[in-house]
Amino acid sequence: MAVKKRLNMRKRYELLTRGLAWEPSYQPREKVFPYEDFEGIKITDWDKWEDPFRLTADSYWKYQAEKDKKLYAVMDSFAQNDGFLNVSDASYINALKIFIQGVSPLEYQAHRGFAHLARQFAGEGAQIACQMQSIDELRHIQTQIHTISNYNKYFTGMHDPFHMHDRVWYLSVPKSFMDDARTAGPFEFITSISFSFEYLLTNLLFVPFMSGAAHNGDMSTVTFGFSAQSDESRHMTLGLGIIKFLLEQHEDNVPIVQKWMDKHFWRSYRLLGIVSAMQDYMLTESPLSWKEGWKIYFEDNAGALFNDLSRYGIKMPKFHEVATAEADHLSHQVYSVFYAFSHAAGFQTTVPSAKKMDWLSEKYPDTFDKYYRPRWEMWAEMEKEGKRFFNGGLPLDCQVCQIPMVFTDVVNGNPMKPTHRVSEYKGDKYHTCSDGCRDIFENEPEKYVQALVPPQQIFQGNCGGETIPDVLNWYHFAADDGGEYHGSTDEKNWKKWHGEQSDSGSQEKA
Amino acid sequence: MSYEVTIEPMGVTIEVDEEQTILDAALRQGIYLPHACGHGLCGTCKVDILEGDVEIGEEASSFALMDFERDEGKCLTCCSKPESDMVIEADVEEEEDALYLPVQDYTGKVVRLEKLTPRILAVVLEVGGDGVEFQSGQYANLNIPGVESPRPFSMADSPGNRNLLEFDVALIEGGEGTTWIHEQLKVGDELSFTAPYGNFFLRKSSPEPMIFFGGGSGLSSPRSMVKDLLESGDEREIILFHGARNRKELFYCDEFESLEEKYPNFKYIPALSGPDVEADWTGGKGFVHEVALDYMNGKFDGYKVYMCGPPPMIDACINACMKGRLFERDMYMEKFLTAADAEGEAKRSPLFKSI
Repeated sequence: MAVKKRLNMRKRYELLTRGLAWEPSYQPREKVFPYEDFEGIKITDWDKWEDPFRLTADSYWKYQAEKDKKLYAVMDSFAQNDGFLNVSDASYINALKIFIQGVSPLEYQAHRGFAHLARQFAGEGAQIACQMQSIDELRHIQTQIHTISNYNKYFTGMHDPFHMHDRVWYLSVPKSFMDDARTAGPFEFITSISFSFEYLLTNLLFVPFMSGAAHNGDMSTVTFGFSAQSDESRHMTLGLGIIKFLLEQHEDNVPIVQKWMDKHFWRSYRLLGIVSAMQDYMLTESPLSWKEGWKIYFEDNAGALFNDLSRYGIKMPKFHEVATAEADHLSHQVYSVFYAFSHAAGFQTTVPSAKKMDWLSEKYPDTFDKYYRPRWEMWAEMEKEGKRFFNGGLPLDCQVCQIPMVFTDVVNGNPMKPTHRVSEYKGDKYHTCSDGCRDIFENEPEKYVQALVPPQQIFQGNCGGETIPDVLNWYHFAADDGGEYHGSTDEKNWKKWHGEQSDSGSQEKA
Repeated sequence: MSYEVTIEPMGVTIEVDEEQTILDAALRQGIYLPHACGHGLCGTCKVDILEGDVEIGEEASSFALMDFERDEGKCLTCCSKPESDMVIEADVEEEEDALYLPVQDYTGKVVRLEKLTPRILAVVLEVGGDGVEFQSGQYANLNIPGVESPRPFSMADSPGNRNLLEFDVALIEGGEGTTWIHEQLKVGDELSFTAPYGNFFLRKSSPEPMIFFGGGSGLSSPRSMVKDLLESGDEREIILFHGARNRKELFYCDEFESLEEKYPNFKYIPALSGPDVEADWTGGKGFVHEVALDYMNGKFDGYKVYMCGPPPMIDACINACMKGRLFERDMYMEKFLTAADAEGEAKRSPLFKSI
């Protein structure tokens, strides 16, 4: 028998990547890596770091260049063939508006966060993993801007997403989530982003947006989704790798990591409330309901993961049972806020169509007809009478997740009873939307009292003026960015283009 | 119709049905391959095809497996199905101590049958010629007359004697194969089998001292390994924990006690878990992992741990080791699954590779 002797993948990788770091001699180590122990995490041996993936810099560039080449070819042909005309309906574009305003800026912040980690982690394996992810995130935001800029030529609401992200009330939900992680220490940041968000919940974001795009004829978005998702293998394995590493390095790390998992699970879950509304209400064709997605990606997959993690003494994240109970209500509650406040939003909303409502009844047999359909029918009636409902006041936002107080006590069987909670800190009252957010507030009150909560900021006169038009102007919203979809500029244009297109189509045939 | 797929660098060969993905077949046959999304999007399960043909699968995203990679002969195991026998190379650890012994067909003659306990029968087969080369800890697949699929049993004695193989067979209630062995097999009968199988073998090149856990008839592999080490003059600390219900179910006590006397680096700790432990028993009481935690003062780090036995015992031992700060990279295990156990396996996450 011939014995083949060639280096295996691991050996090849080790030869290319190991021994690149050095022991500092001009400065003490703790000054070079000042953040490594300030969270209480104990690292006894960076050499125990197991590379979560093996990719050398040269092949990294080769792969990424190839992906971009492919993606830009699709984008070019989409633009040249007026692909925007082939999506299911102009109302679908509202999902993309939320994506570019709410999600893409997070990619940029993730890029900054991982660049920070690549500098601050003392282990070279972890540095390289974070450096590659940092560059990935930059590629993601860039390809998203390029993909969506094509739509920006034809639809409202996508002209200044970064400016909006920093100022707009509902965009403070994703912004405050990422700010929370970015202002934490390096290990909490990576637990938040790589584990809680990327590993645990990324499918709940990806599936609605990307397969939603596929179901609605938006091949351009599908392509950037696939392109980004192909980097996710590294991000997800980094998320699992870091958690294993921390749990194995020292037993004192276990309770710290558990606390971060609890916190960032709930933070991520609340953020995904926006995705649930988009998925169930804003996609013309919805491939999967929020509740179905939650069952597959959280209850089953994350359940299996936590079952394995229990060997380290890790428990399911606190309040997971609340999130599971809320799966029947979440999207309905969040979209009702969007509906009522869309005169102050950078996208349009509308009462779901009869077909959509039937789909919702089918997907939510226990809740939709009983609690939510009657309100939609009332709002539809009001619209018919020319009294389209908008909430003229400002909502009270949660001090932690920054979503208005819309959630109810579903887990205890009281879906009509709000879960608004009040905490006191240094003589002031702070409001949170749920036990989950109150817990987070009360664990770190000094951090969350500093949160910029948009309605309060408006009342304090920090948002461009006293009237809604002043504030919208300060947001850089144009007059036709928000409000009711029926009669919007987007709808009018859509009808016009399709009218013209079918006319010119018949002329060509003639 | 199925194909044989050999996975390098381990050199193990798995059977893959033509309608089955390589990943699915590997996981079902106890071989870990890297994976994450499971449906062609992320690329975690990418492998090199060294030989053979594959149907790449429509699910494979053109970003997760790009055109140039397809040209270079890569595929995603989560959505690829073999179209011929194949050799692939996966991004998994190469085992320095694996001998990659070729699996061969043998026939052995029963030369001894001995009741070790009321429910465990020692079957000794004599094999002619050069005998069977195996690594201690590995198993053979025995073909049992009238039973459709072959049944795996670990070699229970040191690999030093290649011509006499011992298998310690516990009677499983309602188990076709073990019932036949206990009731029908006679001295002088011939049995055909294939061997050696399994990735449960000694990592001799690792310098750490060793702990062995054997539960019930799962003592067989640890016995083979411990005797292998001691006979070869290994001087590292070796501790064997053997779990059984009661004194009657404990076997090879005398042998291990005399090994303990002969080799000062070896320690033998039997543990009885009851409920019917004999009144005069003065040894360890409780489940084997409890006795071990106690004996080790709750600390396992710095050792290599080998465990063999039924799934609940393995599970408890893994948890005990992890509680004692010893993790996946330092533990090796062989689960004794019955046909019924294999069906009830819970959904797993990609957190662990070999647990």
